[in-house]
Parts: sequence; C-alpha cells; structure tokens
Amino acid sequence: MPETDSTGLLRGLLASGAVAAMALAAPAIAGQKLGEPQSIRAPEVIYAKTCGYCHGRNVGPIILGRGLPAESVKYIVRHGQNGMPAFRPTEVKPEELEALAAWVEKSDARKGEHGQ
Amino acid sequence: MSDLNLDRRGLLGAGIIGAASFGLGTGASAKNPAPLAPHMTKADYAGAMKAFRGVVGAEWVFGDEEAVAPYAKVYVPDPMNRHVPIGAVCPESVEQVQELVRIANQYKQPLWPVSTGKNMGYGMTAPATPGQVVLDLKRMNRILEVDADLGTCLLEPGVTYQQLKDYLVENNIPLWIDVPTVGPIASPVGNTLDRGVGYTPYGEHFMFQCGMEVVLADGQVMRTGMGSIKGSTAWQAFKWGYGPYLDGLFTQSNFGVVTKMGLWLMPKPPVYKPFMIRHPNMEDTPKIIEAMRPLRVSNLVANCNLMMSASYQLAMFKRRNEIVPDGAPLDEVSLKKAAKANGLGMWNTYFALYGTEQTVGAIEPIIRASLTASGGEVLTAAEMGDNPWFHHHATLMEGGLNLDEIGLLRWRGAGGGLAWFAPVAAARGVEAERQTALAREIVEKWGFDYTAAYAIGWRDLHHILALLFDKSDAEQEKKADSCYRELVTRFGAQGWASYRTGVNSMDLVAQQYGAVNRDFNARIKHAVDPNGILAPGKSGII
Ligand SMILES: Cc1cc2nc3c(=O)[nH]c(=O)nc-3n(C[C@H](O)[C@H](O)[C@H](O)COP(=O)(O)OP(=O)(O)OC[C@H]3O[C@@H](n4cnc5c(N)ncnc54)[C@H](O)[C@@H]3O)c2cc1C
Repeated sequence: MPETDSTGLLRGLLASGAVAAMALAAPAIAGQKLGEPQSIRAPEVIYAKTCGYCHGRNVGPIILGRGLPAESVKYIVRHGQNGMPAFRPTEVKPEELEALAAWVEKSDARKGEHGQ
Repeated sequence: MSDLNLDRRGLLGAGIIGAASFGLGTGASAKNPAPLAPHMTKADYAGAMKAFRGVVGAEWVFGDEEAVAPYAKVYVPDPMNRHVPIGAVCPESVEQVQELVRIANQYKQPLWPVSTGKNMGYGMTAPATPGQVVLDLKRMNRILEVDADLGTCLLEPGVTYQQLKDYLVENNIPLWIDVPTVGPIASPVGNTLDRGVGYTPYGEHFMFQCGMEVVLADGQVMRTGMGSIKGSTAWQAFKWGYGPYLDGLFTQSNFGVVTKMGLWLMPKPPVYKPFMIRHPNMEDTPKIIEAMRPLRVSNLVANCNLMMSASYQLAMFKRRNEIVPDGAPLDEVSLKKAAKANGLGMWNTYFALYGTEQTVGAIEPIIRASLTASGGEVLTAAEMGDNPWFHHHATLMEGGLNLDEIGLLRWRGAGGGLAWFAPVAAARGVEAERQTALAREIVEKWGFDYTAAYAIGWRDLHHILALLFDKSDAEQEKKADSCYRELVTRFGAQGWASYRTGVNSMDLVAQQYGAVNRDFNARIKHAVDPNGILAPGKSGII
C-alpha cells in the first residue's frame, strides 16, 4: 500500500492497530491460532510451505508426477539426501509424513515447476 | 584455565577417543552405539531415557539408530564422526522441559537444546561433543502474543519464520518479519540465540530481541528484563530491566534453555525499494565498502547489505561444472563470463530503501551519486526485471521466504557439504581486501572455491565464506575440515575471529578469543550448571 504523503506511515500504523484488534477478537479459522500449537497440516500445505521451496524451483529435483514410491519419500524426508536437510518427526509429524508420502506418490506433475 | 575446567575438558576428550575407536559412520548402530558421555554408564543412559519417556511419552523419545537419523544429518565436515547425538527428547511444555532438566541432572545426561534445529552449515541438531541427547523444542511452537500497536511478539522456540509470517498475513497484521536466508524451516528463537542475521532494517536479530523465559540448569524458570515483574506490560517493550543485563548470557551459550522469547517486528513501510549495485572487478572490494560505510553509519541505508561475489551467486543456481570442467580451477575469466551471461557483476551489492515516497525520493539521489562514483551500476527492478538473483535478494530484504540458497549444496559433485566461515572485521575497505586475499589463498590451496560474501553491518563486516564440498567424498571432507581449521587459525592470527561457528570448530574459535574470556565463561558455567548437563562444548564452554 504505497502512500504518497509523509503522514501515510502514521495512518498505516494506526489502521494496523484497528485491524489487529479485530483480528485478535476473531482469529482466522484456517491458520494457527494465538496460543495454540500448529495443528496437523494437509500434504498440499506441507508441500507449499516446505518441500516446494526447493523441489520444482531449480534447487531440488522435481518430485511431483513421477510416481515416487511413498516408502522412498518417507526415507528421504527423514534422512535427507545429498544437499537436502533431514526433517525430524517434530517438524513433519509421523501422521503428516504418511499422508504426504502417499500424496507425492499419486500426485500429477505441475506446469511451471522446473528442476535439475 | 581453571583445574576444574581442565578436568571437564579431559573427560570430553575421552569421549572423542571413544567415537574414533567405534569407527562410527553417519550414525551409530545397535552393535556400534554412539559413545556415551564419558562419565556415564549404559545403565545411567537407559535410566535417563526411561525417565524421559515417563515425561513426554515413548513416542517423543528417540534412541535407536534409525530414529536418531534425522538428528544426525549435518553439512559440516566431521571426518571423525564426533558430532553424533545419542538420542533425542521432545517436550511440549515448559513444565516438561523443567522435568527433563531435573532428570538430566540426576543421571548427568547432557542435553543439547535446539529450537527448530536447522542450523545448516553450523551443525543442524548435532552436538559439539559426543554423548548428548538432543532436547528438541520444535513441538513447543505457540505464537503467544502479537501486539500490532507496539510491533512486538512473544514466541515459543519451535515457531518457524513461516508460521509467524502466515499468522501475520492471515490476520492482516501489517508487521514484517526479518528472515535469515533460510526462513521457512528455521526459527526466530533459534536464529536469535545463535545471534544470526537477516536483511531488513531489523536484521541484527539479537538487537531486536526483548525479554526471555529461561529454564535454568537446576530446573527453575527465570524471566529476563521486565518479565519477572508481576503485572508488567513492558516485557516485550523494554529490553534492559534492572541490574546486569542477562539476555546475552543465553545466546551462543549453554547456561539455560530458552522457552520463550520476545521480539520486535518492523511495521510494513509504505514504500520499499530494493537496489542492486553491480561492480565489474574483484578488485573493487575496497571501493564498495568505502562507499557503503558512510551510508550505513548514518543509517541512510538502514538494512544489512549483502555484497555477494559472482562465485557465491552462481553457486546458488548453477553447478560448478557448468562454469569450468571438473577438476579445473574456478578461474576469473570463466567466472566473469558466466556472471555477465546472468546479469551479474563480480560483486553484487544489495540493499533497500524503506519509508515514504518523500523519504525514499530524498535519499535515493544521494545514494546513487556515491555508489556511481565507486564505479558501480545502480540497478533496480526497472533494469533487473525477473532476474532470479535480484528476485531472491529483493524477497529477503522485505522479510520474504524462500530456500533458493540451499542450491549452494549442489555446487560440487553430489554436494551436501557446507561449513560457514564468518570472521568479523571493522567496515573498512582495506580490511576486506586483505581478508579476501587471505581467504582465497587458503581455500584455493586446499582445492576449494572462494564462494563468499560480505554482510555490511552498521559498522562491521561479516565475511561470509561458504566452504562448499562434496560430503560423499571422504577425502574432500577431510580436506574441508583441515581447510576450515587453517582459516580459523590464520585469520585469528591477523585479529579476525568468527562471530559464530559450527559444532566442528567451537573450541578452536573459542581459543582465538583468549584464556581470560574462556575462563570467565567456564566459571559462569560451573556456577550455574555444576553437573554440566546443558550443551557441553557450545561455543567452547565446558
Ligand atoms: C544456504 C544457507 C543460508 C543461510 N543463511 C543464513 C542467514 O542469512 N543468516 C543466518 O543467521 N543464518 C543463516 N544460515 C544458517 C542457519 O541455517 C540459520 O541461522 C538458522 O536460522 C539456524 O537454525 P534454527 O533457526 O533452526 O536454530 P536452531 O538450530 O534451533 O538453534 C541454533 C543454536 O542455538 C542454540 N539454541 C537453539 N535453541 C535454543 C534454546 N531454546 N535454548 C538454548 N539454546 C538454544 C543451540 O546451540 C542451537 O544449535 C544459512 C544456512 C544455509 C544452509
């Protein structure tokens, strides 16, 4: 929200207080709530917010639409491979990993992904 | 060094011999268990693990090789396999942390606390000495408070930058976060405790930290700053509290387990304008720093600048053998050619302006004039368009999330090897010039590349050298280890010591800071953690 006068910053900040007060009264339904731990995430969410930052973006190889066996996906997530870090059961919960690995195995390729 | 300190250090040395004689691979196995802390018996370890299970449940205690594997993966060179944890325990509350610490005292089982454990290139979750159980705090990931008026938040250790960003976006709170380059999987608490950096004006993370809750080694809970005053509303607003300032004691240290941290968040500015300054020659190093320093010291440029060498930039998205054949040195002609083909110079310096139309409009001409005079081309989104490097840095400088730089890990062969070497100097061109020459001489002698950057802080330089190697090649790993040690000692001899280091070199870096400082840290350690149960070896403190 580019502002054109020097009072814009102040106005923006005041507005932010109002927005936040509303937000605190009625937290967004979908995401993490204040004071609560993150709940179990769907495979699409984990892919978008972890895997997909590298895979399909030239950093890691493409993993969607290749029919990668779920067992291999699980192993690689927990051990890391070459430059890939390992992800612990506290980061990707066991039940999240089960669903994620099955989802990756069955996934379709995505247009726009590129990898080496 | 005190006698007590020597004794403790001697004991840990026994652990090292243990590790070597077991000949461990990347982890231990049932037949070849990772060595216990030297003063412990198998029965002590079994007793501690059983008691841990009683606190957090069996599903959150990991002891066998397969279950510990995710905690054992490291990028740093570790040819002796010293840095292998023997287990992990994962609490979900402060009370559980207190219980675990009490059990650790009872059995003298050392615990290595991590928040999100993505200290990549510094050791991930691996401990500095053998025989430690990782205290994995990732399950404690509540965002406890966000105050949109004051621009503050209170977080548990397991909250990732991604979680915090999502919360702010989903709730339309116009505050920014400030990320290290690997934000999505790392944490504000873990990064700040290792005194990490980011790239908005709030990039010196520890400077923007305000208030902590700490579980001490005896299990007591302490709050710093205003946090111990009943009814105070200023815990996240006033940093210093009363009396000695304590928060620093819990950074890069092993004096407590931090279970909550307050941070300041920057209000989203009305105008954000990223810049890239392209310089054509490696020899431009001093000119760039001399031009940037007055802009930084005066705070006309308010964010931490990254001055990236062509080789570092190319290593993010390219493989080495796309630029020179395998085995050939990374010569300047090939580098220049590849840089040019990708819209890069030999040095590429990124910074941004933040403010209103008027303030940005007023500062921009001053900055353009002095950077153009330094021989650089001043470039913005208008010229750089969707150039992937410009896009990457423009994202970082507004606290955006990506993992582009993990691409560095594929630079050589199968990749997977990275150790950050991060010596500090005052922000003077001549120092950078000398540092670059020395670093190149050392890394090239060992067959590695000078893939480096300078982070230009308010008055300091962090020279950030990514020592990249192929971790699947045992010989290269050994060389990387030796190269790293030579970097630390030869830089140390010139008065340049690291601001932070990996578990592979914590003791060596501590030596550069001298015996008096080491002894003082050791005396604090022995007073607050007499059983040595918290992260022995962190920052060389035992
Ligand atoms: C490509 C790449 C780019 C990077 N760029 C940057 C960068 O720009 N800036 C930067 O700072 N780093 C950078 N890093 C290094 C590192 O990955 C980050 O600093 C990361 O934020 C650290 O991991 P973490 O946040 O998970 O912290 P953790 O790993 O959880 O913590 C770091 C250390 O702090 C201590 N600690 C953590 N939590 C606690 C606690 N609760 N109580 C007591 N002690 C604790 C432990 O010693 C732990 O090892 C980069 C790494 C890579 C691979």
